[in-house]
Amino acid sequence: MTAGPVTSTPAARSAAVALAERRSGRMPARRTVMRRSRRLVLYGVLIAGGLVMMIPFFWMVITSLKTRAEVFGAPPLSLPSGAHWENYATMWNALPGVTFGDFFLNSLKLALLNTGGQLVTCSMAAYAFAAISFRFKGPIFGLLLATLIIPFQVVLVPNFILWKSLPWPPSPTGSFYGTQEPLWVGAWLGGAFGTFLLRQSFLGIPAELADAARVDGANPWQIFRRIYLPLARPALATLAIFTFMWTWNDLLNPLIYLQHLDQYTTTVGLAFFQGQYVGKWPEMMAGALVSLAPMIILFVLAQQYFVRGIALSGLKG
Amino acid sequence: MALPIPFGAARGRRRKGPRAGEGWWALLFLAPTLVGLALLSAGPILASFGISLTSWDLLRPPQFVGIDNFVNLANDPRFLVSLRNTAIYTLLSAPIGLVLALALALALNQPLRGIALIRTAYFLPVVTSATAVGLVWAWIYSPASGLLNQAIGVVGLPPQKWITDPFWAMPSIVAMSVWQGLGINVIVFLAGLQAIPQEYYDAASVDGAGRWPKLRNVTLPLLTPSIFFTGILSLIGSFQVFDQVYILARPGKPTEATITLVYFIYESGFKFFRMGEAAAASWILFLIVAVLTVVYFRSQNRWVHYQ
Repeated sequence: MTAGPVTSTPAARSAAVALAERRSGRMPARRTVMRRSRRLVLYGVLIAGGLVMMIPFFWMVITSLKTRAEVFGAPPLSLPSGAHWENYATMWNALPGVTFGDFFLNSLKLALLNTGGQLVTCSMAAYAFAAISFRFKGPIFGLLLATLIIPFQVVLVPNFILWKSLPWPPSPTGSFYGTQEPLWVGAWLGGAFGTFLLRQSFLGIPAELADAARVDGANPWQIFRRIYLPLARPALATLAIFTFMWTWNDLLNPLIYLQHLDQYTTTVGLAFFQGQYVGKWPEMMAGALVSLAPMIILFVLAQQYFVRGIALSGLKG
Repeated sequence: MALPIPFGAARGRRRKGPRAGEGWWALLFLAPTLVGLALLSAGPILASFGISLTSWDLLRPPQFVGIDNFVNLANDPRFLVSLRNTAIYTLLSAPIGLVLALALALALNQPLRGIALIRTAYFLPVVTSATAVGLVWAWIYSPASGLLNQAIGVVGLPPQKWITDPFWAMPSIVAMSVWQGLGINVIVFLAGLQAIPQEYYDAASVDGAGRWPKLRNVTLPLLTPSIFFTGILSLIGSFQVFDQVYILARPGKPTEATITLVYFIYESGFKFFRMGEAAAASWILFLIVAVLTVVYFRSQNRWVHYQ
């Protein structure tokens, strides 16, 4: 790449830029007008695009408040005749024996268990890789990274067989098949993404801090708890938010393992609902909105961590 | 994964000092990860290959059948169609998603007032579940009173069946995926744009370069690492598409027009309990992704510029 001469000091740079602008021979006044109109067009395009991006959400909200007659009769862009909140109540109690609240609590329970497990076990592994020297460190880390590259669908079948063959008397199937355990226990056994993310963050912590603590008689666990974890808070927050999001939004795994309505998460619950109530759009949109609410709130509150995590890894799910 | 000798024990004995014996600590910190690697990730990857060489319905013991599953898949029209659809999905969604995101990132990378709020609108779909937003897209595509048919009706176009139409089915799924995934690429591009040193632009100004030459000769070459990165993620991600298909294609269950590779794996393994066939199909997925990744990485010397 040739970028021409690089001017180093800021003063020299701005002088050079000014010179170049004068050389290009445009009048300053005309430049301002052009810049302003260009900025206006840009604003217009970006806002219009943003509104287009939001259409599915707007339409979800509007539909969820309409009556079914309005949905099929009135023009689509007309507003509902009134806020028909009863769609939410209908949706909440639509399925026999369970409420949508049960699905919601199941999702919340699994998301929190997964988040807790990943934070604890990934940070422990990351500490070992970042701050302790031991035999086979390179090969073990390499193996862990390799599992990040391989599509997770490859382990679906063997993991399913494993959970189905482990005896578990309390379950009606006699195994873990048809229980929620396969959906969270694995999160307490480490993970390549979280370990990698936290290791990067731990590597940025100066070794002198740990050395000083060691001289004072701290053992590795104390160094990990008192020095490394507090200093890696942004990375821990990023991992927590991503794990929560992945678990909350996961469809395939709950679909494979869960057998009874009362174990369902919001995603499988919605999919089941869709199969049962074809065409009941207002109720379905109400359910979809309720299941989206936690992620939307979390995103608004913690947008910086989402953006940081995606910029770092590009991973969504 | 019980190792006979704790790591570092031998080295720790030789090396006297405050850090001797930390191998035991490493074992403690790594214990959950090692169990996970053995039972849930690295171990199962190998097991999966073994299973792919069997016929196993989980009721009777597995039977070794050699490469029969792979041979049968190569002759299974539904599997071949799922491969074709996955390829079409990837060829449509990856380039469209990249180009749109690139244009958007360039526009969003301006010091405009209120830009943070505008960005939020583009990022929001990323955090939502494909299941929940898939329902509203199913409603948008609904042949009866769906928003899309109403909208094209305004300009005089005839209504379409979208998801159940063999031609429009895949483009409809792609449109939803592009909408949902756009924010990811935009975020990566924005991070890439902000990492380009101002000096390059100043130098280009000194040389009298205008907007377009700057974009062509400074921004784009320096953004190629980000383009490379989003390219590989789009490629891998689009080969694993499942949720959108599961939700959108439900009116008629996935047909010839919409079944994808991961849906095929799901169906064969967890609806028909053909474990050997599902494992074989998942290894084919793995091999395709691996080959494409290697080819893609090989290509980077030709077009990716690192600073």
